[in-house]
Amino acid sequence: MSWASRAYRRVARAFPHEFTMVYGADMAQLGDDVIDDIAKREGLAGLLRMLADVVLRLAIEYLVELRGDVRYALRALRQSPGFALVGILSTGIGMGLTTTVYASKWQIISRQLPVAHPDRLVMPDKPVSYHHVEAYRQENRIFAGVAAFEPGVAFSVRFTEDESGKPQRIFGQLVSPDYFSVLGVRAQAGRVFSASEDHPGDAPAIVVSDRFWRARLGAASDVVGRALRINEQLVTIVGVAPRDFDGVLPINPSELFVPITVRRAVAPELADDVLHRSDARQFLALARLAPGVAVDVAEGVLATVNRRLAAEDTSLRVRGDTVRRVPLVAAGGMVPLPRDVKPLISAFFAALMGLIMTIACMNLGSMLVARGANRRREFAIRLAVGASRFRLVRQLMAEGVVLSLLGGVLGFALAYLLIALKMKYAAPSAQPIVSAIKPGWSAAWFAFGLALVCGCGFSLAPALRATRADVTPALKDGSGLQLPGHRRLGLRNLLMVAQLTGSLALLMITGFLVLGLSQSGQVETRFDPRDAQLLALDPARDGYAPHRSVAFFERLPDRLRGIAGVRFVALAAQPPFAVEDEDATVPVNSDGGAGGARIQASVKKDVVGSGFFAALEEPMLAGREFTAEDERLPDSTRVLPVILNGSAAAALFTSGNAVGGRLRDGARTYEVVGVVRDLKNGLQVIPSLMYLPLRQVAFTTPPAGGITVIVRGDPSVIRAVQREIESQDPSLTVFDVRSLAEYLERSRAAERYALDTYAAIGVFSLVLAAIGLAGVTAYAAAQRRKEIGIRVALGARTEQVLFLVLREGLALVSVGTVLGLLGAVGMARVMAALTDTFARALRVGTGDPRLVFGAPLLLAGLALLASYVPARRATRIAPLSALRSQ
Amino acid sequence: MPPTERFLPLKTQWFHIMLCLADGEQHGYAIMQEVLERTDGKIRLWPASLYGSLKRLIAADLIEESDARPAPQLDDARRRYYKLTPHGRRVLKAECDRLQDLVRALRRKLART
Repeated sequence: MSWASRAYRRVARAFPHEFTMVYGADMAQLGDDVIDDIAKREGLAGLLRMLADVVLRLAIEYLVELRGDVRYALRALRQSPGFALVGILSTGIGMGLTTTVYASKWQIISRQLPVAHPDRLVMPDKPVSYHHVEAYRQENRIFAGVAAFEPGVAFSVRFTEDESGKPQRIFGQLVSPDYFSVLGVRAQAGRVFSASEDHPGDAPAIVVSDRFWRARLGAASDVVGRALRINEQLVTIVGVAPRDFDGVLPINPSELFVPITVRRAVAPELADDVLHRSDARQFLALARLAPGVAVDVAEGVLATVNRRLAAEDTSLRVRGDTVRRVPLVAAGGMVPLPRDVKPLISAFFAALMGLIMTIACMNLGSMLVARGANRRREFAIRLAVGASRFRLVRQLMAEGVVLSLLGGVLGFALAYLLIALKMKYAAPSAQPIVSAIKPGWSAAWFAFGLALVCGCGFSLAPALRATRADVTPALKDGSGLQLPGHRRLGLRNLLMVAQLTGSLALLMITGFLVLGLSQSGQVETRFDPRDAQLLALDPARDGYAPHRSVAFFERLPDRLRGIAGVRFVALAAQPPFAVEDEDATVPVNSDGGAGGARIQASVKKDVVGSGFFAALEEPMLAGREFTAEDERLPDSTRVLPVILNGSAAAALFTSGNAVGGRLRDGARTYEVVGVVRDLKNGLQVIPSLMYLPLRQVAFTTPPAGGITVIVRGDPSVIRAVQREIESQDPSLTVFDVRSLAEYLERSRAAERYALDTYAAIGVFSLVLAAIGLAGVTAYAAAQRRKEIGIRVALGARTEQVLFLVLREGLALVSVGTVLGLLGAVGMARVMAALTDTFARALRVGTGDPRLVFGAPLLLAGLALLASYVPARRATRIAPLSALRSQ
Repeated sequence: MPPTERFLPLKTQWFHIMLCLADGEQHGYAIMQEVLERTDGKIRLWPASLYGSLKRLIAADLIEESDARPAPQLDDARRRYYKLTPHGRRVLKAECDRLQDLVRALRRKLART
């Protein structure tokens, strides 16, 4: 019983101060009075009820106080709408940007596949042959399972109930039958593939994604067993993958899962018996590590297997087969990140979010400090009449939290808007890319949590400061006379320096990026890009046999040239100036150095048809461009003709003429037949480019974007072109019809969106810093009213008073500027190390003197202006009124 | 002062506390004992809930702290005493009328069957 009594008293003491003052003693006394009676009548159950009652009451009393605090805070904010507006805006914009970063970057980096133990899934960073995958499977002590898949495969899908309709181009994956079992994914309806599907030539069974089932089949309940036509071949849907499962590497969502055992007519990628050819390195090996196996052990084992396979057949060896370890990337996330890079990127984005948020909240914090100082007298009175300090702190914090929650609502709306814009301005790509995740519940919770944490965190210190219990001087004086040098490192100054530093760093970084992007983000054409029309075709997926595809493309250019108004026609593997295919860069060797010395350089490959440069009105600087004969060269050709751009020619042939020179990479030998000037390609300035001829092989297995047809002529010809293609075969799918101008516009929209965002962040932080500084200076001047009054009374001149007030601001600005510059340089280094795009933009941007000197000067100027206005006001203080008012 | 009807029907705890105070001042312990006896131990006002209710009743201006003290030999100087306010008395009366109406209606129904 004594334990119950003790517990009861302990809880009773924890009641809010105001409650305890009035009822505390009575309540404790009553507990003591009745506890024996309760124990006698109702035993242990009664005692427990009594304790439960007091605990519940405790919670209720605090909630009631909280409600009062919030009401009080709302009233206080209504009374100073200017303060409320600036506070809500600054936290709101900060949270909007942070939530956007969270939804578009953080979630993509950190989200895991909805599969069993996604952290155990790994993948070699390069494609391998199916032969390799089978060999990896044998290592069953290391891997619990190894599946093969090929992502980003286009399928031409026709729904059987709509035989007359045009087929739709849908992306999916070719997967080995054990794909789902390795992932540990079950079907939500029907079944996934069974091992028996591993017999080539079986009836084509496919699994569709939840997205496909809902969006294209209307979530039909009888989906299992339904037939579809894929590339004009009949297939059967045997199952629907679970919700939220878009395949491995869901950054490119997959809607169809087609087993690699289907006939090649269903998937042209499987032509030429690629499953049994160890030189067909087109599959990604998805491996699940066996329990307890470390990744570096697996990397070593894979390297051993690769070396063994390479030794068995030396003719197939490629670079990388003899390395000591095969780098494995994490396959369980949205994007395949190398394991050691993920923490770095995560840390970077966490730091970026933290920085934006800190700047926004610093403002809130310093505004609260200033506000608290002005209300010191009020607090002193309340403390003197018996309010608890805890209560006052809570009340002040409630103001901060209410402000920041309102800011959170604004921020979430802003994030929604920004992400909608981002999706709208996504760069064109052959295959859909998840560039941002819609801000859903997780982002809403994130914004809410952020608002709560920031609100509490940044209002606690100001609240503690404002309610420090030195009641007497506050009551007597209103504000303490500040002596020079008093609390030089005070909280307020610390906040101010941090804010200046952060905003300058942010401004510099964004400035570097904006300048870099705008200087390198130009596309040059020698003609009006509105007069070049683009469309894409992929007959192999419309059921064309290889010879029919080849014959079709052989005839197509001539047919189109016959249309009135068409000036040039050319084919290419992707649109001109395409920004895609980052990884097509390979090292090549030449003998073009002085005296035939060997030179190695990295070049990007592009594939273009005959007449491509004529269609772009690019004259050859030397040599010739590709001809129809080049297109007909068989796959076994030993020496392929190539065209270099100026940079590549200069890099690989330092001794002179490139035309006629020979090049080699891991697979082939090439002969340079021509040189063109560098075509500037937006931000993706590819210094060195090697053009390969678009050969007939490509017509049978086109790239993900299909074969691009470039037609030069004014926009009206595109109708006639489409009619001509339809007249040849109405069942052909024509897709991605647009003018070059539209395509470039779309490509640059993403860059422009990025520019606008960065510029907005920079301006936002600058304005915030200025507001903050103005507030702080005004506050400091107000605090020193009495001192200034005395000085003026003793004959101080205007400029002396001005300097007195400005001095503090100047010191803060100088310290902030130095730290901000250092921070900007440091952050630029980190960012440049992380992504190529940033690195390129920063390389151009950092050298710009406008920014290196301009940004600190701009900030300093703005900061001076911001502190000059309140300082100027301070000089007008009339000594008598200043002395009398306090 | 909020209108009488706003408090009707009275919460069970409030009703019992106000009923105890109808015939004079009481302190917390006495209220608790009286309610316990009147309901044959069915309703126990737990200490924390009792003071929570007292606080709210005071805030609603239904009861107030009493300065008058009973005869010294009965008084426990440490305790606070509570009494109904005129407003509280009106509310209690209104509740009584409301209950009477209900009981009357119920009786009539039962009499007919």
